[in-house]
Order: sequence, then C-alpha cells, then structure tokens
Amino acid sequence: MIHLTNIDKYYDSKFQRTFVLKAVNLEVKEGEFVSIMGPSGSGKSTLLNIIGLLDQPSAGEYTLYDKTVLDLKEKVKVDYHRNFMGFIFQAYHLIEEMTVYENIETPLIYKGVKGREREAMVADLLDRFNMVAKKDLFPQQLSGGQQQLVGIARAIVGKPKLLLADEPTGNLHSSQGEMIMETLKALHEEGMTIIQVTHNEKFAGYGTRIIRLEDGIIRKDEKY
Amino acid sequence: MIKHFFINILRNIRQNKVFTLINYANLVIGFAVFILFSALISHELNYDKFNVNYDDIYRVQTRQEDSHPTNFCTYSPAAYRYHLMADLPEIEKVLLMREVSGGANSGQFFTLPDGSQLYEKDGYWSENSIFEIFTIVIKEGNKATALTEPNTIVLSETLSEKLFPEGNAVGKQVTIGKRVPLTVTAVYADFPKDSNLRPTYLVSMPTYDVLSGGSEYRDNWTSITFDNYVLLKKGADPKLVDAKIKDAFKNVKDYEKSTPYLHPLSKLHISPNSQPDMIVGLGILSFAALLILILSSVNYINLSLANSTQRSKEIGIKKVIGSSKKLIASQFIAETIFHTLIATIIALCVAYLSFPMLNHILNKNIDFILWGNWQLLGFVGFVSLLVGVLSGLYPSLVISSYNPVKVLKGKIFSNNNNSISIKKILVATQFSISLFMLIVSLILFNHVNFILNKDLGFDSKNILYTEINISDKTPFETVKTRMLQHPEIADISFSSTIPFVGNIGGYVTWEGAAQNEKEMISRNYVNYDFIPTYNLKMAYGRNFSKEYPADNQACIINETALKVFGWTDPIGKRITMYGKSYPVIGVVKDFHPFSVHNPIPTYIMFLKDNVISGSTLLTLRFTGDEQKARYLATSELENIFPNDPFEFKDFGVAFYLDFAISFWQSMKRMFMFFAVVTLVISTIGLFGLILFTIKRRTKEIGVRKVLGSSVRSIYWQLSSEVIAMLGFAILVGCPSAIYIYNTMPGAYKEPLSIMVFIVSVVLVAIIAVLTISYHVVKIAISNPVEALRYE
Ligand SMILES: Nc1ncnc2c1ncn2[C@@H]1O[C@H](COP(=O)(O)OP(=O)(O)OP(=O)(O)O)[C@@H](O)[C@H]1O
Ligand SMILES: [Mg+2]
Repeated sequence: MIHLTNIDKYYDSKFQRTFVLKAVNLEVKEGEFVSIMGPSGSGKSTLLNIIGLLDQPSAGEYTLYDKTVLDLKEKVKVDYHRNFMGFIFQAYHLIEEMTVYENIETPLIYKGVKGREREAMVADLLDRFNMVAKKDLFPQQLSGGQQQLVGIARAIVGKPKLLLADEPTGNLHSSQGEMIMETLKALHEEGMTIIQVTHNEKFAGYGTRIIRLEDGIIRKDEKY
Repeated sequence: MIKHFFINILRNIRQNKVFTLINYANLVIGFAVFILFSALISHELNYDKFNVNYDDIYRVQTRQEDSHPTNFCTYSPAAYRYHLMADLPEIEKVLLMREVSGGANSGQFFTLPDGSQLYEKDGYWSENSIFEIFTIVIKEGNKATALTEPNTIVLSETLSEKLFPEGNAVGKQVTIGKRVPLTVTAVYADFPKDSNLRPTYLVSMPTYDVLSGGSEYRDNWTSITFDNYVLLKKGADPKLVDAKIKDAFKNVKDYEKSTPYLHPLSKLHISPNSQPDMIVGLGILSFAALLILILSSVNYINLSLANSTQRSKEIGIKKVIGSSKKLIASQFIAETIFHTLIATIIALCVAYLSFPMLNHILNKNIDFILWGNWQLLGFVGFVSLLVGVLSGLYPSLVISSYNPVKVLKGKIFSNNNNSISIKKILVATQFSISLFMLIVSLILFNHVNFILNKDLGFDSKNILYTEINISDKTPFETVKTRMLQHPEIADISFSSTIPFVGNIGGYVTWEGAAQNEKEMISRNYVNYDFIPTYNLKMAYGRNFSKEYPADNQACIINETALKVFGWTDPIGKRITMYGKSYPVIGVVKDFHPFSVHNPIPTYIMFLKDNVISGSTLLTLRFTGDEQKARYLATSELENIFPNDPFEFKDFGVAFYLDFAISFWQSMKRMFMFFAVVTLVISTIGLFGLILFTIKRRTKEIGVRKVLGSSVRSIYWQLSSEVIAMLGFAILVGCPSAIYIYNTMPGAYKEPLSIMVFIVSVVLVAIIAVLTISYHVVKIAISNPVEALRYE
C-alpha cells in the first residue's frame, strides 16, 4: 500500500544542512500494524507526518497504491485526509470548544455524510467505546485515557484504511495505555492498517512489525 | 452546518468575553461614527429634494466682478424678472421674492390678539407663482389666487396658530408694523427642515407695490435685494437659458460689472454663493469618518489575528481531520461578516441615539432620518459587508494556511516577525492620529476661549440695541432726555451700524495716496454720543462736537486707517470719498467692528444728522437690572413713536450668534469628538497588539512564572515597546498639529502653548500604561499551569 523510496528530509540553515531523515526506504502492506521506535529527535514524527501527507520530503519517492502522492493539489490532499487516513496524537488534540459527540462527528461533516447516517455512525462508536453517557461533555471534563479514546473514535469514524498514531499513549498511565493499545489491536484485527510511533517496548509489541530509527536512518526492521 | 456555525460563534463569544466586548466596542464605534456622518452628509445632499420640480428650479444670482475677490451674490435686482426672463420660451414660470425688511435675520412685527407685538423673522414678499414652482402643501385657502391681490398675506401653520389660536385664519385680518392691515388668504404647512427656503409668511407682491410707492423697483438694476427664481420647462437646457439671459443682459450698459447667472436648486444649500466651502467641509468630514472606519477595521483585523492564535490549534486539528483551506477560510469570513452585521445593527441604534449629540456639536437642529432612508441604509449595509469581507480576508488567509504540524507543536509564529512589525506600525499610526486630534482639539479649545475673551476694544457689557424704522422725524435730543430720566439707562446713541451688526463698505483715497490708489473701507454714520456710549478711546484729536458746526463735513478714523494712510500727524489731513473731501478731526483706538476672527478693517466714522428718521440702530447702555431697563426703554420708545413697534436685543446674543464664533465652537466640539473617538479606537488597537504579543508568549510567561520570575520584567518589556510607539506618535503628531495651527484661518491667534502638547502626550501615555497594566495584572493573577497544560 505505502511505498517510500529514498526519502530524505533535511533543513537548511545558513551554514549547514541537517538531515532528519536519510535515504529511508519503506514498504507497508495493507493490514500491517507497524510500530516505529527510536530515540528522541531521530525523525519518527517527521516520518509519520510525511506518510500522513502533513509534511513534504525533501527528496525521494512516495506512492500510495502505486500513485505518487508528492506535490498533491490541496483538494486531493484534503480528500486523502477525509477518506483514507485517520490521525491520533500524543496530546489528543481534541477541539476544546466541542463536545465529545461533536468532536467525533466533525470529520463526517467534512466528508459530507448526511444527518441520519452520521448520527448512526457516531452513536455506534460511542457505544463501542462505552462513552454514550459522556457524549455531551467537553474534553476538559474527561480523563486522559478517555480523551484519547475520543481521539481514536474521531480518527476511525470515517472508516479510514490507514491509522497513524504518534505516541498515542505518551501522556497516559500504563493501565490506560494498555486499554488504548487493546483498542488499536482490535481495530487491526478488523483489518485496519496502523502505523504507530512509541517509546514503549511493550506497546510496540502489539504490532506485527517494529522499525527502529536512529538519526534518520532505519537501523532495524523486524517482522513478527 | 449552519447550526454548527452558530454554536461555534456562541462558544467563541462565551470563552472570550472581554475580547468579544472590546471587539464589538471597536466595530460599533467605528460604524456608529460612520453612520452618523453618512446620515449628516446624506441630509446635506438631500436638501430641497421634496420639491416635485427639483430638477427644473433655478435661482438667478448675481456675479459681482467689481468686488475682490469676485462675489457671487444670492440676491439680484427686480429688473431681472421684468426685463430679462419674462419672455424666454424655455422658462415656464418666474418668481420674484424679497425678504421682508431686507437683509438676513430681519422680519416684521405682528399684532397679537392681546395687543402685544410678535416679531417674526423670515417673511417674504412673494408672487403667487411660488405655489406653482415649489411644492407647498396648502392647509386652508386657495393657492391659485392667494397672493395675487394687494393687502393679502399667506401664513405658515405655526404662525397662524400663534396669531389665531382658535383656527380658521383665512379671511381674517392681521396687522404688520402696527400700521398695515392685511387679509389672510391661505395657510400652508411649514416648509420641511431640509428646505433651503423656509418662509414663515408670504405677503403678496402687489402689497409691496403699494407700500414702496409704485412699481419703479421693477426697472431698478442696482438694488440687489431680491430673490429671482425660475422654473424651466421640462427638458430645457439650463446652459442655453443662462446664455440667453446673459445675452439679454448685455444691453444693460450701466450695470455690466454684475452679471446674472443660473444657480440650480440642488446647489442652493451646499454652495449658495457658488463657493466650495461647504463641499470642502463635507469632504473633510467624510474623510475623518472614513478614517475612523478604517482605523477600527484595522483594529478588527489585529484583534482577529490575536484571537486566531488562540484558535490555531483548533484550526490545525480541523485541517488534519479533513477540513479544506477553503472551508476554513470561508467559515472565518462568514464569522467576520456575521459579527460586522451584528455590530452594524447595534451601531445603527447607537447612531440614532447620538443624533442629538451631533446636533449639539454642529450647533444645528437637523431631523436625521435613518429608518426609511433606504438609500442610506443600503449604503451602510453595503459598507458593513465590505468591511466584513475585507477585514475577514487577511486573517482568514493567514489562519487557513497555518501548517498543521507546526500549529500542533505550538510553533506558528516562528517566522512571523514581519507581521508583528506591521502591526506595530499600524498601532503607532493610530496613536499619532489620536495625539494629533487631541492636540488640535486643545488648540481649538484655547482658540475659542481666546476669541470669546479677547478685548474687543469697546465696552460690550450692558448694551441693548434695537433697529428702528420710522416714518416721522424726531430730534435725537428728545429721545435722549426722556431715556436718561431713568437711572437704569446710562447712555444712548444712534448710528447706521454697531459693532457686529451691519456693515457699509466704500472706497476712499487720501492725502498722500499714490495716483489711482484706493482703499476699501468700512464706514459708519454715527451721532455725537456713539463714541462715549461704546467707550471708544481717542488716540488723537477729539470726538464730534456740537461746538464745531463744521463737524458734519468731517470724519474720525481708526488706528488701522492711520497706518494704511501712512500719516504721522493725522489731524487736519483729508480723505476723499466719492468725490467729496473730509478733514480728519480724530483717531479712535482700534476696536473690533466685526468678529474677532477678521482683521480690524480700515474704519471711518461720519457724523449723522442729530435727528432720528428712517431706518437706524439705537444703542443704550444700562446699569443694574436688564429686564427693567429693557421694559423702560421699550415703553419710552412706544410713547415717542406710537405707530412703530420695537424690540430691544442684547448685544451678547449678537456676539454669540456671530458666524465666526459659532463656527469655531462647532469646530472645537467636532475635533473633541473625533479626538475622543480616535483615542478610544487606538486604545483598542494597543490593547489588541499587546494581547497578540502576550498570546504568543503565553508559554514563555508561564514558564517564567513557574521558574519564579516576577512579572516586572514582562511589564518593562511591553512598556519599552509602547514608549517607542509613543515616541513615533509624538514625532508625527506634534508637527502636524503645529502645521494646522499655522494654517488655521483667523487674524488673531493666541500663541501656541507648550501645555497643549504636554497634556495630550501625558493623556495618551496614561492610557497606554493603563492598557499594559491591565494585561500584566491579568498575567500576574493567572495560573501558570493553564499556560503549560498542553505542552
Ligand atoms: N523546522 C525545523 N527546522 C529544523 N529542524 C527541525 C525542524 N523540525 C524538526 N526538526 C528537527 O528534526 C528532528 C526530528 O524531529 P522529530 O519530531 O521527527 O523527532 P522524533 O523522533 O519524533 O522525536 P520525539 O521522540 O522527541 O518526538 C529533530 O532533531 C528536530 O530538531
Ligand atoms: Mg515525535
């Protein structure tokens, strides 16, 4: 599904060029659950952002289903975000001015899903994550784990093929983290492709493949 | 979607109450000022439009080339009506009118049912065609014949109610000037306030023939005291008519220096004398109002940007989960438009409520029409939409192009220093403008006080005067002896003009003048008592005296005249006026015969025959109670001249009614108004800028607080920025204010006081410090954990 060939990412300052990613080659097949690990500053978030079309590589090839996705028009990119992939963040990044229900509903509005159907889809997810009672609360009124659950619900409500998660458990207690990982695992078992960044060996183990980055270079790529 | 849109707006408002309040205050002030002045300008431009024949009515005015600069006089001689226009095929109707008694602000006395006298201004002699040319609503009577017969009068509704409270005025008699009985033939509804011509009553022209002793006036080309109106036929070319009138006029030889010209009704109000004064004034006003609108829009942009930093995270998330740039931008613009429209509606109410204040500022009594003036409302709506779109555009572009990755990392402003300095320049400009306005309004404030308190050179206290217009001759000494019996009356005199009331011009030459050298002078014919009554001081020579019978061939000049004539030893020198030579017997110290705004003219007094006759001005100085003196003087005059009505006026009133005084007073109020408004708006601007700076640095400030740093350093940093802006404002604002002071018209100005500048700068500085303090206090009491929560 995902094909990265010789991806470089660097920043130029006055006197030098700093590489964040260097000659990264990566293929991810449909249905894989990939964990990216590595020390701080090694380029994990950068790689994930490039895959998520939030950032542009400085050099290299990137294709999704054999279609190149570099230098896309805004419109096409928005389309990918609406229909193809979902994001989860370490800091949850829920919209604070919106209730739980509205947070989950918003991507569907962007997608153009009509009222009745939208209601059903949101209700379904609230049910699945046991959040029905909390649907009218605002994010600040939830615990971290609950907020991240809402984050996941929001990411998957549009039924994306690809789920990108940057340290989804980074702000959570380990018990809450485990609950999140179980949720991701269940999604994977339903057939979703997932790429997560994590610092936690145990959580990395939930995946089917671990990629280790160091100084922007892939050092190890293990499949299980 | 729509529901979400409104929920979103409501939540935003709830979350940022202070911000919303300030934002609305800013927009509402900007729009309200704009609406106020749009209404004013629309009012001024829509004068006389109620006339059905609006486009075809012209006044024939007089262009006087023999005065310098060329004078465009609204009056014209009656001969135009009878000799120039009567036969032109393009002219549908002609109308000859004349203000009763002639000259502005004069009028006529009516005898009330109880026998007392009512002085009524703005009456006209008029032909019956006035009803066919102007749109006049008749309440009673027949307008086809109302003014066709001698001894008939038509009353306005208001006057009719005063004279005949019981109604049914038509057919009844009124008496004017205690001697002329007239029959009321009709009553018309008062002319609207936006009419240039607003007569309180109309007396038929045939009556004028009778009273003026015949119809010779019809052939008179030199008495420029009439109003000539014409109604052109539909489709007639006014230029052609103008040319034809001028052509016909060429045959009138002895009068060729003053030519007639057509002046359209649409210009009679805004440019009666064919001068652009009022148009320029309106232009300046619209410019100031537009400036305020722009300043507040700039504030709105700044505040939106400041606010958007707070919303940047929300926007970043929305982009990641599939909102497009276009959607975000259009949502933002829609929000802006929504806010501007709400603000416009509030501003309309505010403007409506502030009309009395505007009337006070302008010293006018205008009926502002807002509701129902669709043209104006449409215009305001359009402008508010435009402001909404324009001020939403830039922030929406900025916001929608936020890079989500950066925004979510909290890094939006890493390379936005440019826009910060633009903002600083904008705020500094706002401060310059408000400092400028403040200084100018203080200068004007001083100037008005200066004019009001300036030594006029004569004793202006305790003076009463009256116009008298009598048919029989009476020796002045008779009047004087009877008046001075009363201890309340200290002095009495009579003269053709008195200070601030009336003026007679003329040209003189003098001993020692070059060949063909002439001087335009202001002259006055006075009796022996004029100089003592007004307490004028002699610089050389003496007052007119009964001991010198030859004084009736002599004159007294003022010091300005002495300078102009270049004499060192004036007594006995001669001046020549219209071929007659007069020796100078005295020189009075300079005094102000006209408004203090004007330079003191070359002024010459001649001796009047000591007999009261015809039309003249009687002055008396009273001691003690004014009411009593007025009552005594009026009853004495009524005893001496039983056939004539009188009305004593207070000189102070004439002084305050003086055009220059009221002009400067409304200028002062206007500038104070603009100063306050710009000050408020630039305070909001500064508030927004500081808010913006602080929002960007919330995290930094939070960290510092956690690390235990005091807020003092933040305070100093903000203050130093503001001091720099203030410095800029002083550099720009003070010189421009000095420039205004230097170009300010007026012959006498008070020297510029440094206090004006100090007060203004201190005021602006205080406001700036208070604004900073508000923010710093807010930071000081805020919980640093809040700021760090999401990092
Ligand atoms: N705009 C930029 N300019 C210069 N360097 C940048 C920029 N953005 C990121 N970097 C650098 O790129 C490197 C990789 O950043 P990235 O966020 O991908 O690391 P990471 O592996 O996700 O680290 P962490 O585990 O701390 O999240 C860092 O060293 C960072 O300093
Ligand atoms: Mg990272």
